[in-house]
Amino acid sequence: MSAPAVPDERVAAVSPVRRLLVRPELGALIGAVVVFVFFALLSSTFRSADGVANWLDPASTLGIMAVAVALLMIGGEFDLSAGVLTGTTGLAVTILATRFGLNVWLAVLLSLVLALAVGLANGYVVTRTKLPSFIVTLGMFLVLQGLNLGVTKLLTGNVLVGGLVGRSGFDSAHLVFASSVVLGGTYFKVSIVWWLVLTVLATLVLLRTRFGNWVFAVGGDANAARKVGVPATRTSMALFATTATAAWLVGTITALRNTSAQADAGVGDELTFIVAAVIGGCLLTGGFGSAVGASLGALIFGMTSVGIVYAGWDADWYKLFLGAMLLLAVFANQFVRRYAERRRRS
Amino acid sequence: MSDDTALLEVRGVGKRFGPVIALADVSTTVAAGQVTCVLGDNGAGKSTVISLLSGVHRPDEGEIRLAGVPVDFAGPRDALAAGIATVYQDLALVPLMSVWRNFVLGAEPTRRFGPLRRLDVRAARETTRTELAGMGIDLRDVDQPVGTLSGGERQAVAIARAVYLGARVLILDEPTSALGVKQAGTVLRHIAAARDRGIAVVFVTHNPHHAHPVGDRFLILKRGRSLGDHAKGELSRDDLTRLMAGGAELDDLAAELDRP
Amino acid sequence: MIRRRGRWWGAAAVLLVLAAAGCSNRVDIGAAGPAATPAAKTGGRLTVAVVTHGAAGDPFWSIVKNGAVQAGKDLKVRVTYQGSGVPQTQAQFIDAAVNQHVDGLVVSMANPDALKASVERAVHAGIPVITINSGGDKSVQFGAITHVGQDETIAGRAAGKRLADAGVKHAICVVHEAGNIGLTQRCQGAAQGLGGRLDTVQVNVNNLAQAQATLRAKLTADHSIGAVLTLNPAIATAAVAAESGSGSSAKIATFDLSGDVTTAIEQGRIQFAVDQQPYLQGYLPVQMLRLYHDNDNTVGGGQPVLTGPGFVTKANAAKVAELAKRGTR
Repeated sequence: MSAPAVPDERVAAVSPVRRLLVRPELGALIGAVVVFVFFALLSSTFRSADGVANWLDPASTLGIMAVAVALLMIGGEFDLSAGVLTGTTGLAVTILATRFGLNVWLAVLLSLVLALAVGLANGYVVTRTKLPSFIVTLGMFLVLQGLNLGVTKLLTGNVLVGGLVGRSGFDSAHLVFASSVVLGGTYFKVSIVWWLVLTVLATLVLLRTRFGNWVFAVGGDANAARKVGVPATRTSMALFATTATAAWLVGTITALRNTSAQADAGVGDELTFIVAAVIGGCLLTGGFGSAVGASLGALIFGMTSVGIVYAGWDADWYKLFLGAMLLLAVFANQFVRRYAERRRRS
Repeated sequence: MSDDTALLEVRGVGKRFGPVIALADVSTTVAAGQVTCVLGDNGAGKSTVISLLSGVHRPDEGEIRLAGVPVDFAGPRDALAAGIATVYQDLALVPLMSVWRNFVLGAEPTRRFGPLRRLDVRAARETTRTELAGMGIDLRDVDQPVGTLSGGERQAVAIARAVYLGARVLILDEPTSALGVKQAGTVLRHIAAARDRGIAVVFVTHNPHHAHPVGDRFLILKRGRSLGDHAKGELSRDDLTRLMAGGAELDDLAAELDRP
Repeated sequence: MIRRRGRWWGAAAVLLVLAAAGCSNRVDIGAAGPAATPAAKTGGRLTVAVVTHGAAGDPFWSIVKNGAVQAGKDLKVRVTYQGSGVPQTQAQFIDAAVNQHVDGLVVSMANPDALKASVERAVHAGIPVITINSGGDKSVQFGAITHVGQDETIAGRAAGKRLADAGVKHAICVVHEAGNIGLTQRCQGAAQGLGGRLDTVQVNVNNLAQAQATLRAKLTADHSIGAVLTLNPAIATAAVAAESGSGSSAKIATFDLSGDVTTAIEQGRIQFAVDQQPYLQGYLPVQMLRLYHDNDNTVGGGQPVLTGPGFVTKANAAKVAELAKRGTR
């Protein structure tokens, strides 16, 4: 957290600053601090424990997705089906448990199998056909959107599937995925714990494993990576499966928390994930980014979405605010990349 | 033609792509600790030779022997596993990644096992630094992105990496072509350094002035055919240049261009 | 180098300031005073949070919002409005309002299960809750003081009665979303009110051309159909287009209003529209919360307070069209 020291150190010591500046998450960190200070000054509720728990909640479910999407983007791919897949998995859990009478845990497990199938299908088609993942996953997005609506109506005759409460296994599943943790009298949603654990895990994988090195390489230059023996296809497949698994987790959390699932859930969220990842320093062209940054991006979203309520503004302004954040992030990224890629005169 | 010291031997290989004969009846040898130069103009078949040696394609005729044993590579990974490393013109470096991450890419050192197995960052950095130093390359900072290096430095990193990865045979595809005179000289020194470490180097180039100083053996190609496979003593630099340019053809051209 | 960097950060700062300025202007207009003002006991300024499932920009919900905001101005109540079609986001908005200790909460419950915990938390915190529009059957169970909305069965019955009075014996009810329970209730109510034969036709609201073709086929094939009852203004417009040239003289009636529907009513091409008066669903709860706070009054006697069915016919269409321009109808 040495960010605030940047402007002063800039002149004195060039090298550490340079190193700090090319950290992908720097922009998001500054952004998060600014947003926090901004709303904390406007509203005392925002900085109260209840307030913090409140804005960490939307940040958590978005953050889980943003981290996975960031890994995928660093690996040079997009997944536009990730948002609607959170709906698909939530519907699968709810329908399997309520209409087919399965134990909730079994429903959750089958939903994971479904998510992995979707993720691997995405990865297979993208790596096999070499088509842009943007197009392939857009197709998957539409397929899933249609399936969500069609299958749900076919099986339940409704667009809203409820009745999870009281099913066998619901209580324990709810405890794991959708309960709250009491800390000093404040209720923090357990999804926040999932989010933090996944952020740490993703960061370790990215920076401290061979697989992480491959992700950067495949996203930076897939041909180069292949030539030195990196299993590029397997890496991409694993990344698509990771995104799908994150979507499953968020879908399950949402379904258990709402004790119901809507056929239109998650539609439109896929771009939010990408925006959070980009705010967090991921390049749209791949090969650069960070999991921590994506989490900070999600945090900015969470703080903004709830902060606007505390400030008493219209939610209409939410998008304006996020738009400004996104543009800022893109400027910062552009600057960082030019800085990083600038050739040294030898 | 058989040579006891040859690590890599090419015997009468040919390759067709559909109706096009890309290479026909080409033979040469590469000895450990020596540099064999493959020379030729554009379209002479240099790239085909590389693709056969590196396992990208299989020869239609002839055979390739590694340490006296005929080999048949299913793909580049096979060739790599056998110790034949290729440094392509694009260098297979990822510009946004740091020097050390690039250096160990595909062969990352790890520590601990099972789910705790992770990248040994300290070892990776240290290896990068020492390996580069061993090739006579001094980089200030192995954490800087490869994109910030000069062309010659990148070439050096790529060569050092291939050596580190355990190459017994190192194929270099036009390593000097995009460089200025001074940087090209540095790269030639790196080639010599690799040679001195006992590696069999295949140096593919169209520039006889770069080839002659480091080469121990010269294979000259033209339109897919061998114009000769000579040891260093058999050829002067002028011979080499003349052969490269097509000998008699160049004389004709000189006559044609001569002002009346 | 440093100059260059300075320019980037400068641009960044300008953008942030712009974003902040854009927002803070709104604060001055919309809400005077700091966010969490403790309310004076009687007659003082109140804060009421309205949290609906209507997405920003939805015409129906913008009328609800206008009603709530107007009530706030009339009654010295600070009204905040948030809407999200995503149930967990709606729940987070409710949590935010509870954390701010608002004096009253107005919630539409399209997905009551998802909001249960948050609404109950509000009730537990001593915040009076009024539910609007949807979720009326769960309102009392969750601890809300009342529900303001339209009972779909009653509205359907009234519409059916009106058609029967106009001499219709055979009508079709056009359902545009399969499985939406509210729409089914409207058709069932209409059947009761009509007393004659009422067939249900299924169309898709997202494919209006197809819906129009289906209705035209239906009307061409069966001239005994005396009326078409649509449940959505866009489908009503499609029904008007389907009828012309089909040789049918069926009367068309619809639920809910739009500019096109009001115009068609003025022209006599649509008989009437059942209006659930969204403005009231915004205005009344704020007023009720004011009364509850100041005078401990409750409205409805444990029953929902109905804002519909109101009717828009040729008689009042011109006036409604005029009011629609003000964003209150």
